[in-house]
Amino acid sequence: MSAGPRVALAVFAKDLRLDLRSGDRLGHMAVFAAMLVALLSITLPEGTAATRAWLPALAWIVFLLTALLGLQRSFQAEVEQGAVATLVGAPCDRGWVFLGKAAANGATLIGVMLWTAVLFEIFLDVAWERAPGTLAAVGLAGALGLSGLGTLLGAMSSAARFREFLLPVLLFPLILPVLVFASHATAAALEGLPVERLLWGALGLYDWVVLLMGYFVFDYVLED
Amino acid sequence: MNAVEVSQLEKRFGAVRALAGVELLVPEGELVLVRGPNGAGKSTLLRVLAGLTRPSRGVVQVLGEDLFRASGAATRGRVGYLGPEPGLYGELSVEENLAYCARLHGRSRARVRELLAAFELAALRARRVRTLSTGYRKRTGLARALVAEPDLLLLDEPWSGLDADASALLDTQLAALRERGGSALVAAHSPEMLAAGFDATIALEAGRRTA
Repeated sequence: MSAGPRVALAVFAKDLRLDLRSGDRLGHMAVFAAMLVALLSITLPEGTAATRAWLPALAWIVFLLTALLGLQRSFQAEVEQGAVATLVGAPCDRGWVFLGKAAANGATLIGVMLWTAVLFEIFLDVAWERAPGTLAAVGLAGALGLSGLGTLLGAMSSAARFREFLLPVLLFPLILPVLVFASHATAAALEGLPVERLLWGALGLYDWVVLLMGYFVFDYVLED
Repeated sequence: MNAVEVSQLEKRFGAVRALAGVELLVPEGELVLVRGPNGAGKSTLLRVLAGLTRPSRGVVQVLGEDLFRASGAATRGRVGYLGPEPGLYGELSVEENLAYCARLHGRSRARVRELLAAFELAALRARRVRTLSTGYRKRTGLARALVAEPDLLLLDEPWSGLDADASALLDTQLAALRERGGSALVAAHSPEMLAAGFDATIALEAGRRTA
């Protein structure tokens, strides 16, 4: 295996191992999502058409807020222990480090998304099984964009003094297109309608742009 | 060939000039001690040479390459760096940390076992790094910096936190590095480390080379 993919794979496996071992990040996200969905189920009017119309967007907002908790800590281990030097010393283009970290974040976010979906089904009676294939594809496209952008911005803000504040301030406006496209696509799929080609194209284009930008910019992000 | 060639190196952090016109040549196979008081620029110099910090001005060639160019990517793998922190993951064991680094550099498990033995860490291989003492963390950090059998080793205050036994192990590794033609720059503020037998000493003060 050449150096780039090998490094990406090593970073991906290391991040997943750290996540599963410490359990902090996953545990906090799971509890946070459960609290949010429980609050929504208590406060939203039950069974109205307006509530049903809001649920796809609310599901994505809960997912985004929960993901933010994890993304904020994505580079914590590197920054606190000085392990950024290990990443910088990897014998390949640093874009591969970005891809490894984004893939690990993406895997975690997919887990978070499944958990959020289960919570919405239990507490708010959302019937995801109406279009499982389409919804899975929309979820994957959204998670990919969020993990790419979140990894890049998480790295940029990791050494900042007000990183807990900085990441959401940077992330929310930039992730807005994904939130809008994915919410509309989810709403269409839940109503049994086909998802417009334009939405698929927009989600795919966003993912490509974010991943390409992360790959090429990461070189500078990792330096002081 | 020179392992390090630095000319007119300047590094600024805002208004602060951490390095000012530093000139440096380190021939292959030489161990060089970088001395100076706190704030002299030793750590910044090593971070620039490791590719962690981009210089503001000047020419920096490491093992014949500019590490900040795309062509320098492979060369970065030939440089071992240990900063003030050991650069380890607390939730991973000693062996997992070294194995991760070995995977990054395409090295085998045998290399990991070799380093566990060399730094007398074999008995602690399964211990999570966060449970180790400062000295053993430092030993593990040193082993990590050596995983890729670097041609250039950059160590920032490596003796701090090490006991006499561990210091002797480090001296052995530095001697072995020189024997196979490798070079090292070691930053220290105290002169007692000269026992390791350096080929040259340079001194920095307020970002300038004074000797």
